[in-house]
Amino acid sequence: MYPPQLGYYRPVSLSDALDFLSNEDVKPLAGGQSLIPMLKFRILKPKFLLDLNPLKELNHISSGDDSVIIGATVTHASLVKSGIVRIDLPLLHQSAKKVGDMQVRNMGTIGGSLANADPSADYPAVVTAYNAKLRLQSSKGVREVEAKDFFKGPYTTELREGELLVEIVFPKLKGYNYKYAKIVRRAGDYALVGMAVLAKVDGVLKDIRIAYTGVSDKPFRPYELEKSLLDTKPSENVIRDFAEKVASQVNPPSDSRGSSEYRRKVMKALTVNTLKEVLGIVS
Amino acid sequence: MLVRSGEKAKIKIKVNGIWYEREVEPRQLLVHFLRDELGLTGTKIGCDTSTCGACTVLLNGKSVKSCTVLTVQADGAEVTTIEGLDAKELKEAFKENFALQCGYCTPGMIVQAHYLLKEHQHLSEEEIREGIHGNICRCTGYQNIVKAIRQVAGGDGHVHG
Repeated sequence: MYPPQLGYYRPVSLSDALDFLSNEDVKPLAGGQSLIPMLKFRILKPKFLLDLNPLKELNHISSGDDSVIIGATVTHASLVKSGIVRIDLPLLHQSAKKVGDMQVRNMGTIGGSLANADPSADYPAVVTAYNAKLRLQSSKGVREVEAKDFFKGPYTTELREGELLVEIVFPKLKGYNYKYAKIVRRAGDYALVGMAVLAKVDGVLKDIRIAYTGVSDKPFRPYELEKSLLDTKPSENVIRDFAEKVASQVNPPSDSRGSSEYRRKVMKALTVNTLKEVLGIVS
Repeated sequence: MLVRSGEKAKIKIKVNGIWYEREVEPRQLLVHFLRDELGLTGTKIGCDTSTCGACTVLLNGKSVKSCTVLTVQADGAEVTTIEGLDAKELKEAFKENFALQCGYCTPGMIVQAHYLLKEHQHLSEEEIREGIHGNICRCTGYQNIVKAIRQVAGGDGHVHG
């Protein structure tokens, strides 16, 4: 299978790339692990590909006092290997290890995955749990969008014409328990259901952030239900009740990976098991 | 570099130690460059959608699926295919352990196994299985493939090869 006939632009700098992106029908190419199959299937047929890989400006991981900034073209494999990510963003580290397979992780990038916004991808849930900030830049300027406002629907984001996702700013959350759990139908597949959890326990539950992937048209975070657990010591029964309620708040899609009803059942079981582990509840 | 639709890009790629200069369409896939332009047909096309791993090659030392990389993305890079891979011990181990039946997945399996052995100081069976889960064997001969890779990794988990 060949991609359609198209043009190609290799920029010399980020500003050069942003200038080119302001042209009509240009698609940014990061790792290409979703984009190239979509081209082959003629789901996309852009006039030009804009190759982001030569841009050093987008390939960095830097650590500040309260945040870690990750460039859009950092690969999953680089996230797995990064000491900064392992220590300061352990949830991201854990989820990066579970993306696709080793070859895909060597090419695929965090920015590509987020901008693609597949409703079953891993990182959308992870950035939603962190409520990371996404930096969107065009030739006219830069703006920051919180993860909770970035995803609009399947493969649809807040990115406007001429804008590029350039960096993701993660808050350093200290002293949190974490877990990225996902159920897949077969090795290397996208999630049937996945969930990212960050929880701070100090005697009682001080903070909890739960974000799901695969159960809705975009990452799902049950803000109100999260609050109901705060300042308590949730028992197994409370967690089971929570799982029932959270699963009733979504209407999961039916597709080749599983029916809506099955997804909801998987979501409940995954919620109980994951929260028990993260909160250290022994049954 | 600006290449309009229908035009060709001038690229330079080092494959198995030799530099090649060619003009290619931007849409050309690396696997087609290797097979059709250079005649290196050891690299196979299986699923063509980045699932099966039959097209695995090393790009600047990292394993990638060459059906999901454009040739222009590999401009200036170093590519190693099964033909240029220094993996005698691994190939012997595949032979000794009957780790192939039809043989179609074998080049990709060996390139990926080679990368895995190079990347890891210690390799458990679980890590081997996780490491080759992007490579599908339709004959389902995984037991012997894992056995072959284990043999090279060494029974004690240390990499010998």
